[in-house]
Amino acid sequence: RDSCSYSGRDLLKSFITAALNREEVIHVLCFDVSEEELKDGLKPSDTQRLHIHNAYSDPLGWTGHPNFTAQQFSLEDLTNLVKQTSHPKPAVLVIDSLSWILRHKTPPAVCQTLQQLRKGGAVRAVIGLLHTDMHQRGTVGSVCHLATSLISVAPGVKGKEAVARVTKRSKSGKVMQDEEIFCIAEDFTVTILSKASHAEHKTNSTEEEQADPTANLTFNLRLSDSELEAKQKLTLPFVFSKEKSESLQ
Amino acid sequence: MFTELNSILNTSPDSFTQGEFILVSDRQSDASFLIHHFLSFYLRARCKVCFLGLAQSFCHYGAVSQRLGVSLTQAKEKGQLVFFEGLKECLSVLLPKENNAESGAMNFLRDPPVGLRSLYEFVRSSMIGSGSMEEGAEQWGPNVLLVDDLSVLLSLGVDVGAVLDFSHYCRALVCSQMQGNMVMLVRCNKEEDDDDDGDEGSEVLLKGLIHQCNLNLHVQGLPTGYCKDIHGQVCD
Repeated sequence: RDSCSYSGRDLLKSFITAALNREEVIHVLCFDVSEEELKDGLKPSDTQRLHIHNAYSDPLGWTGHPNFTAQQFSLEDLTNLVKQTSHPKPAVLVIDSLSWILRHKTPPAVCQTLQQLRKGGAVRAVIGLLHTDMHQRGTVGSVCHLATSLISVAPGVKGKEAVARVTKRSKSGKVMQDEEIFCIAEDFTVTILSKASHAEHKTNSTEEEQADPTANLTFNLRLSDSELEAKQKLTLPFVFSKEKSESLQ
Repeated sequence: MFTELNSILNTSPDSFTQGEFILVSDRQSDASFLIHHFLSFYLRARCKVCFLGLAQSFCHYGAVSQRLGVSLTQAKEKGQLVFFEGLKECLSVLLPKENNAESGAMNFLRDPPVGLRSLYEFVRSSMIGSGSMEEGAEQWGPNVLLVDDLSVLLSLGVDVGAVLDFSHYCRALVCSQMQGNMVMLVRCNKEEDDDDDGDEGSEVLLKGLIHQCNLNLHVQGLPTGYCKDIHGQVCD
């Protein structure tokens, strides 16, 4: 799950790279960006097991000869697509992005297809990118409810860092939640830097150690004992005292 | 063309990145000055420009461009500029006359659910049409599409999804296929934190376009209010 402030595409590409390194077959439904842009940065030697289906140039059939359209997002069409490569192992299906499909198919239909894919057996896993700020909360909630793992990315505090909130649902029903700070290198390897909660504690303590404002002043804030005594003895010019009133008479 | 903006973006008419989608957006402010900047920028760079001017008349753009040192009339005559005057085309759809040749690009005015496919076809034909070389015709640089502005389409009853589809197809054609550039303006009227349902369409449109673009130049008023010398801030 990403938003305008931080794109999840780099993380998606790192998942693709990791799956390719594990010698898996990957099918990518490419709606949001062009094939070249998706392949940019991926190692050319790995791309034999990577099948990119171009749904970017004509997703609605406007040019008359579309490669893959949004309407083809159904169990039957996707199963046929994946089986084209005739590989013994079930493939991994990557969808970039689910937001595109949700704009053209109803959320219940999309959820149904995702659920059917999960149980169908033609694909081992489905990894989808969803732009949460483009849909209503109900839609986002429904789609995310189907997921066994949910990763929400947001920009981090420093430069290239980002924060990921991970929710994992196991088959037993147990839900685990975690928050991590990570950064992605040029070759799309992910480095987890630290847990977000630890980083917060560190910043608090450094702030306390920072400048003591009463140090290094050019004037005194406190008076010494003799100065205090001298101050008390001082008669102010316009205050009437016994001597002054007598001298005036 | 504003030279300071060029130096901030590290571009010039002689060298700029191709295949880019630049989104210009504003919130309670007026970013159309950036459209005039890019129009004169790309004309000076000798690009073939297709300009969908939906918000103002040709004379208005011509007058401003004159001040920036570029003549739109000349560019149009030489074939460098294809100008689509939205205001005039609207009239020809709404008040059809026999001798008015209707281009069909604004068909959505009669039937908004139809979407912007015919407008896309117009853009496509004007871009690809430039490929045919006539004898003695001048050679122009990369294709550029400018749109001022997308929010007008929302006001005319077009669905947000249809506008996003239109910008997607234009990007696939102009940026990816032809390695040209695209600049589109979108406007929001309300504060970002308002939960008012009235203007939700333009917020979703803005977010969708930000996901699609390479660079977003956002213009907004200063948080402290109106000021005489500094009118707003631009962030990217």
